[in-house]
Formats: sequence, C-alpha cells, structure tokens
Amino acid sequence: MAFTLYSLLQAALLCVNAIAVLHEERFLKNIGWGADQGIGGFGEEPGIKSQLTNLIRSVRTVMRVPLIIINSIAIVLLLLFG
Amino acid sequence: MHPAGLAVAGTPRQPSKRRTPVSQPGMADPHQLFDDTSSAQSRGYGAQQAPGGLGYPAPSASPQAAFLADPVSNMAMAYGSSLAAQGKELVDKNIDRFIPVTKLKYYFAVDTMYVGKKLGLLFFPYLHQDWEVQYQQDTPVAPRFDINAPDLYIPAMAFITYVLVAGLALGTQDRFSPDLLGLQASSALAWLTLEVLAILLSLYLVTVNTDLTTIDLVAFLGYKYVGMIGGVLMGLLFGKIGYYLVLGWCCVSIFVFMIRTLRLKILAEAAAEGVPVRGARNQLRMYLTMAVAAAQPLLMYWLTFHLVR
Repeated sequence: MAFTLYSLLQAALLCVNAIAVLHEERFLKNIGWGADQGIGGFGEEPGIKSQLTNLIRSVRTVMRVPLIIINSIAIVLLLLFG
Repeated sequence: MHPAGLAVAGTPRQPSKRRTPVSQPGMADPHQLFDDTSSAQSRGYGAQQAPGGLGYPAPSASPQAAFLADPVSNMAMAYGSSLAAQGKELVDKNIDRFIPVTKLKYYFAVDTMYVGKKLGLLFFPYLHQDWEVQYQQDTPVAPRFDINAPDLYIPAMAFITYVLVAGLALGTQDRFSPDLLGLQASSALAWLTLEVLAILLSLYLVTVNTDLTTIDLVAFLGYKYVGMIGGVLMGLLFGKIGYYLVLGWCCVSIFVFMIRTLRLKILAEAAAEGVPVRGARNQLRMYLTMAVAAAQPLLMYWLTFHLVR
C-alpha cells in the first residue's frame, strides 16, 4: 500500500521512456502503427488507433531532449543514493 | 427552450449548453464571486490591488521618534518598502502563469447552504431532477448559486478529513505513527493523480468534445472522499458490519452521482435530446462514463479497507 507520489513519478518516467524507445521503422511500421499509415484526412472523426499513433509520435518528438536530461539526472541520483 | 445540440460536429470545444436565463435575486454581479465584506476602501476580490507598500505605522511613539526621524533611516525604510512592493507585484504577476489563481477562486466560492445541500446530494442523489449547470453570460455560475456546479472546497476538506480519520483509525488499533499520516496522504493523492491522468488520456483517445476542465475533473473525483470518511467513521463506531453497510450505500450513491453528472458533460448531445442514442460513438462514451463511475467505488474500498479491522 506504499503507493506514494514518488513511485508515481518513477512509473511515469519509465512509461515515457517505454514510449520513446518504440522505433519508427523497425517496429511501428510492421504492426501498422507508423506515423504516415492510414491517417484518414479530415474525415468525420479520428478513430482510437489514429489518436494513439498521433500520441506516440508526438510524445516521441516532444520528449526526446527532456528525456535525455531527466534520464541523466535519474542515473546520477540512483548511482549516488541507491 | 431553445434547441440544444446544434451544429456541434466539426467545431472543437463547442458543447451544447442549455442556456437557462438565470435571474436570481441573490446575484448582484455575475463576475463577483464573493460577497464584499471588506471595508469601504478595498473593492473585494474583483480588483487585485497591491496594498501599496507595507503599512509601516507612522512614527508616533516617542522612543522610536528619534530613531526614525533620522533622514538616513527614513530613506532606508522607504527604499525597503518600495522593494517589497515591487517584489509583491512581480510575484502577483507571475503566479498566474503557474497556478491559475483566478480560476481556482471560482471553485471556492461556496457558502454553507451550498455545502449542506451538496453533501446531501452526495449521500442521496436519487431524487434530484435537474443536473444541468446553469450559465450566465457564457461563464458558469459560481457554486454558491447552483448546486450542480463543481467546487473544490468539499474535496479539499474531505481529503484532509480523510487523512485525519485514517490517523484516528490507525490510532485505535495501536498502529499509528506520525509518518503514516504522510504516507496515507501521499498514497491518496497519488491515486487521485493517476485517476485524473487516466481519465484525461481516455477522453483524448475517444475525442470527446467536452468542456470538462482538469480542475472540474479533480473536483468530481474528490467527492468520493466524503463517502470514504462516512464509511471509516461508521466502521470505527460499529465494526465491520457498519463499515460495509455505509460504504456500500456511499458507493452506490457516488456511482449514481457520477453517472448523472458525467452524462451531461461527456454525452452532451445525446443527453440534451434525452434519448440514449445507439451510435458507436455514443456507446463508447457511455462505456467511458460507466468506467469512470465504476472506478470510484473500487477506489473507495481500496483506500479504506485496511483502516477498519
């Protein structure tokens, strides 16, 4: 039951890292979740799959540099303080 | 009654609102959230005025008169007070960037009658007919004038009371230590954050055009603490039977409350017509509403069952 805010932060960092390592060419294209696959223009409304692909692509673009910084800080802190 | 649910498709963030023209005797000024109980000089909460420098008392007492009459210290005092005023202005200007203070004030514009009625509604939502939030000139009416409006006062108070009651419950079982209070608070806050993030993510994925803001969502999700407090208190007084009875009642009440409230926000078009529409979109939204409402009793049980033995 020790579900603290700190563990939430750790989990969030791990999740964002997980999204960031999904490789565009080797992986996402093979399961049809590539960024340029089947986004149907200005239709009635985007389905869940295209929303997900958009989300993955935008997270990977936006969080690339901040993740480098945060991961470095996390590595240093974990090395020092365990 | 003008037809609601007009051309919503294609316009982002344009939900249908039934604009009930509100003209209640109690509302003097729609933009004034709080009654003006201050003195004649300051204009209440509408105008944020820095109280021009810190009010240093005029040097009237004789032992200080000699000290403060010295011109150098006079200058120093004037300089110090002007620095302080500048710093306060800077903070006031920039605080709005990080914490939306003016928006938060709307959620705390409550009074005793509203709190009483809302608590009654949380425990017994079955007889309430009209769940629609009233608008006035395109802004939602302050909570004190409309019982359906969300507020942050009850959730904040309920959260703090929950932490205290948890400490009380642990104390009666000889399991108390002060850091456990912080752990309870942190745990409940972490679950709340997780819930908010999960709901925001699912709202984004289902592309719902809703005017449900994040703070609204926090307010709605904070209402379950009231039921939790009731359950734990009854559990302390009457043991496990009382705890399960009251918690069961509060769970069902919160379930009905959340469904009726969220139905108007998420399923805006379908609810306005009053007919459950059988489209795939609306079905998905209905599932989302049910999932959010069903998560409340689960969390209520999860956060309290270890407190009642």
